Amino acid sequence: SKEKTESGQSQKAQKTYQWKMVTSWPKNFPGIGVAPERFAKNVEAMSNGRLKIKIFGAGELVAGLEVFDAVSSGSAEMGHSAAYYWKGKIPAAQFFTGIPFGMNAQETNGWLHYGGGMKLWEELYEPFNLIPMAAGNTGVQLAGWFKKEINSVDDLKGLKMRIPGLGGEVLKELGGIPVALAGGDLFASLQSGAIDATEWVGPYNDLAFGFYQAADYYYYSGWHEPSAVLELIVNKKAFESLPKDLQMIVKVAARASNQDMLDEYTARNNDALKQLVEQHNVKLKKFDDELIRTLKKTMQAVIEKEVAKDPQMKKVWDSYSDFQKKAVEYHRISEMEYYLNRDK
Amino acid sequence: MEWLALIMFLFVCLILLLGYPVAFSLAGASLIFAGLGIAIGAFDDSFIHLLPNRIYGVMINPTLMAVPLFVFMGVVLEKSQVAERLLDAMAQAFSGVKAGLGISITLVGMLLAASTGIVGATVVTMGLLSLPAMLKHGYSAQYSSGIIAATGTLGQIIPPSIALVLLGDVISSAYQQAQLKQGIFNPEPVSVGELFAGAVIPGLILVLLYMLYSFGLATFKPASIPEMDKTQSRFPLKSLLSALLPPLVLIVLVLGSILAGFATPTEAAGVGATGALLIAALHRKLSLKTLQEICVSTLHVTAMVFMILIGASLFSLVFRGFGGEELIHQFFANLPGGVITATLIVMLIMFLLGFILDFIEITFVVVPLVAPVLLAMGLDPVWLGIMIAVNLQTSFLTPPFGFALFYLRGVAPDSLPTRAIYQGVIPFIFLQLVLMAMMAYWPILTTWLPDTIYKS
Amino acid sequence: MKLLVVLERHLQALIRVLGQSIAWLTFIMVILTCLIVLLRYGFNLGWIWLQELVLYMHAAVFMLGVSYAFQKDQHVRVDIFYRSFSAKTKHLVNLFGHIFLLFPVSILILWFSWDYVAMSWHIKESSPETGGLPFVYLLKSLVPMMSLLLMIQGVASFSGCILALYRIKHETNDKEDKAWNG
Ligand code: NA
Ligand code: NA
Repeated sequence: SKEKTESGQSQKAQKTYQWKMVTSWPKNFPGIGVAPERFAKNVEAMSNGRLKIKIFGAGELVAGLEVFDAVSSGSAEMGHSAAYYWKGKIPAAQFFTGIPFGMNAQETNGWLHYGGGMKLWEELYEPFNLIPMAAGNTGVQLAGWFKKEINSVDDLKGLKMRIPGLGGEVLKELGGIPVALAGGDLFASLQSGAIDATEWVGPYNDLAFGFYQAADYYYYSGWHEPSAVLELIVNKKAFESLPKDLQMIVKVAARASNQDMLDEYTARNNDALKQLVEQHNVKLKKFDDELIRTLKKTMQAVIEKEVAKDPQMKKVWDSYSDFQKKAVEYHRISEMEYYLNRDK
Repeated sequence: MEWLALIMFLFVCLILLLGYPVAFSLAGASLIFAGLGIAIGAFDDSFIHLLPNRIYGVMINPTLMAVPLFVFMGVVLEKSQVAERLLDAMAQAFSGVKAGLGISITLVGMLLAASTGIVGATVVTMGLLSLPAMLKHGYSAQYSSGIIAATGTLGQIIPPSIALVLLGDVISSAYQQAQLKQGIFNPEPVSVGELFAGAVIPGLILVLLYMLYSFGLATFKPASIPEMDKTQSRFPLKSLLSALLPPLVLIVLVLGSILAGFATPTEAAGVGATGALLIAALHRKLSLKTLQEICVSTLHVTAMVFMILIGASLFSLVFRGFGGEELIHQFFANLPGGVITATLIVMLIMFLLGFILDFIEITFVVVPLVAPVLLAMGLDPVWLGIMIAVNLQTSFLTPPFGFALFYLRGVAPDSLPTRAIYQGVIPFIFLQLVLMAMMAYWPILTTWLPDTIYKS
Repeated sequence: MKLLVVLERHLQALIRVLGQSIAWLTFIMVILTCLIVLLRYGFNLGWIWLQELVLYMHAAVFMLGVSYAFQKDQHVRVDIFYRSFSAKTKHLVNLFGHIFLLFPVSILILWFSWDYVAMSWHIKESSPETGGLPFVYLLKSLVPMMSLLLMIQGVASFSGCILALYRIKHETNDKEDKAWNG
């Protein structure tokens, strides 16, 4: 009978799972859209084909912004997206993508995995039957594409810009007009002048989108998105139905994805920026110091106002800002000092 | 199990032929088939669970917001009798010219097409107004019904056009998919505005072809287009100008603002609709009651279009669930002759489907299935979009099921035999095939204007 | 039979009144879109909530208008064969469609959308855009609303079909009776 149980167990362990993953990006979109494909390939290889994941790009099964609901209901077992898209459902979710003047990728990963961030994230998603995992990071983004020069705060007045999240709120405070636009309309709107500026990701993705054809000025750095975490969300019931080894494979593959995307952006942004400046004559510009100070001051006011509205947000913000304070202090004498020394 | 997807397609077509409203036939038949699939264990039911998410995706799609606005504009124009005044003035202006009535009808059709996005109303209006006049002046029944049906459907391809708005939405996502699949990491987006720009030159060529044909017929077969007597000694400049003003204003407002880059198609549609309202008010055609009728007509057309989109979403979810996508990819991958054969086959299939389906169904059901494959073979998205639009316009005219023919039959006098309508449209179908051949040979006809406007 | 008559009349009226009221939103959409363009280009003003308001109206128009368009037979049919059917066959096709196509689809949408919308209400879902409208749960409620209204119109159309078939049968019976007597 012992033999029987063993064969029963091994039968269960040999069961193959066919899962669906919905994403918020077009399939194979450079960087963010490639990550889900690589993740699925890794999982299939590591599990020896026992967990097969079929990827559906934005719009194939559901629109990009329906990923959360589709996985929450269990219609798809997994999703790849970004937490700040769900701020209409969970205001605190935006901290788990990134916030203006917040932490960079390295620091955010530290907070998530060793600073209590993950636990808070899991708590937020628990009522929705979702398990979140960090599964990608774009690194520091650039400030975006502008049709005219931005020399002072006055130039932001009346500026129509596609910029999501808290960054948009800051722009609004300073007299600009944050505009809501789908990715597909972005280019045409910038070209037609329906908007004056847009942010996207960084040189690698921005080159791909062809923004240089529509705007002359490319500003740095991405004050509004010092890093952006991409998330893997897994339906809780589906996850718990997996044998322990497959669960671990999913977790480790997500962790690998998280690092892999950052590595890819680190490698590709350099060449893309060179191409933009040298081949497409993009005017690369730095935001004025005074302007940056104003943006930062406004950001602090905005976040205090937002956090006061929502206790969950306050809780996450306290943890986030505590960690940031400590990380910044140490990084001032390590990372930053080294960057400066290296350039001497 | 992929062959089940094919059976499903045939099953849906059969249900459609019964004549129950298309939107619900699409959705209902797909659902029945999904149920069968679940029963025999060949279908993962979570696919249809995504329907509410899909419907919500349709609701918040900002590109499609242009549809009710363009429909509203078209209905207002119809109610303010712009077409009637224009036809009158044109006919007077062209009296005494060879094929005068035919040419004036073509010009009116072109102006209306360029200021509105819906097709049916134009055929009906022109049929009611000019068919009796043409017959009275001794124009042959064939030529008269042919030119009216053909010019009445120009609105399909001459922008602004609802067909191009819907195609634009579908083609742009297909194009993105196709490029990324090819590993092209600088995918160029394609917008409704680009399709509008791309359709301008082919539209004008078509108008030119119609006029050349009319002129040629008048020269070589004067029996079917006899010369008319001049009705007035003086050229009716004033009435012509005042009749031309409303469409010209709208064309500048809508097409001008899109092509010059001042507005997105949705914004331009809103501005154009307001412009049309002002024109109707100036002509004293706008009462509270008329406005209510305009709103209700707009509601009906919009609801019809979007319900088909919802039905097509369910169809596509079930089709995907059965692995239909892979089936289509395999079919195209194994096709000898590459992109040319593939395009020809797709165009032929669409033309045939155009006999039984409306352009909306074809746009939502068929184009999303085939366009990514064709575009991945390297076709230009604007070119493909315009080819599809012209192709579907052709199928509207093709007997016995062309929609334009039904509209015309509905308003034509009983003395006009249906056979005459069928015979009359054949030369015009031929002219449209000529246009498609020209576009196939010189793709630049469709790509030059959008490239000049959007990529300079 | 009487029940069917009453049912048909009242349900039709409900859908009609709702449809005719909702229709006015198309006019407001036109004006607001024009206003948005004017404000943006003329005065450098713009609000995301205003953009979203127009989008909400757009969604309401077709989601709530579908049933009225159905009542008025405004949904396209493939009418190659349908147009040549007798009145009786047409009613039979419609009866078949109401029972096997319209009702299953409406019920399915209502059923599947229930949790989807309930969750949205539960968390009082707001716009994903900064400065957007905080009424996403109302917007999503249009999905079950649409299927409910379709079912109501479906019951009315169903009653109408039965009544019409009944009348046709009666007329033929009368004729047959006359033929016998004559
Ligand atoms: Na960004
Ligand atoms: Na048109």
